[in-house]
Amino acid sequence: MEEHIAVKLDKAFHQKARLGIMSILMASGEAEFNYLKERLNLTDGNLSSHLSLLEKKKYVRLKKKFVKKKPKTLCQITEKGHNAFKEYLNHLEQIIRTMSEE
Amino acid sequence: MNEKERQDALESIELIKELVLQTKKHMGHYGGGWISIIWGVFCFIGVGGQRLFIPQGALIGVWWTALAVIAGFASYLVSRRFHKAQPVRAEHYYMRYFLQFWFPLMLLGYTLALFIVNIPSISNHYIPIVILLVISTGYLIIGFMFFRGILYMGAIGFAGTIVSAIFFLYHSDIILGALFGIGLIITGIVINNQWKSI
Repeated sequence: MEEHIAVKLDKAFHQKARLGIMSILMASGEAEFNYLKERLNLTDGNLSSHLSLLEKKKYVRLKKKFVKKKPKTLCQITEKGHNAFKEYLNHLEQIIRTMSEE
Repeated sequence: MNEKERQDALESIELIKELVLQTKKHMGHYGGGWISIIWGVFCFIGVGGQRLFIPQGALIGVWWTALAVIAGFASYLVSRRFHKAQPVRAEHYYMRYFLQFWFPLMLLGYTLALFIVNIPSISNHYIPIVILLVISTGYLIIGFMFFRGILYMGAIGFAGTIVSAIFFLYHSDIILGALFGIGLIITGIVINNQWKSI
């Protein structure tokens, strides 16, 4: 039996905040922690937990550095993350197409 | 598959589109359009003030220098504001850009102007000509290296300055003030519209 398209959707992106993080990183390649926090209107803790999940899946890479003695976190999208997100987009488009045809 | 799944998929795609577009708009946008407009207004106020209120002589140098400091500070504020909206903030972007590129050119312009003031055989009317040739060269360099829109401004500025020096030397300040003022304001509007259309 053919698998339902909605089941194919990567659960890592199936959440607004993570979808937002990946969309921004797809456009810019990398972004600072504070930029993501401001753009997505998230708290430090909230964003950290979403980024950790994406990092665990190897979809993003987190780099920490110090600028003027202040810690700065840079988030970069990985090739794996890039491909997985593209696939996720394809599945979304497929869902819309299938529903329009039905 | 139900209607809710389709609705969710549509909403997700909308959100992705919006975030990608906004991020692309932020990227590399350092307020160049507004900075260009500031310097266009600087040209108009500079020439207008020089013609209407400032007596000929050393005060003209003070007038232009003071105006340049104000316009430079306003440009810094604009650049800082846009800089904060970048996904990755380069440290001291504006200051580095200014110090590495425009400061040496401005120094060259001022030095050449000083030479002209101190060489009696060269008319002081050549001061704006020399300074604007230096500034036009700056635009040409930026145009060739980074942004084609500025290239036209440099080419028009360069040609306009030479034509003005040959045919209208005694009114060159008004002609070039208007040429550079209008040119910079139009360039600023074009740059702003290009960013809006992304």
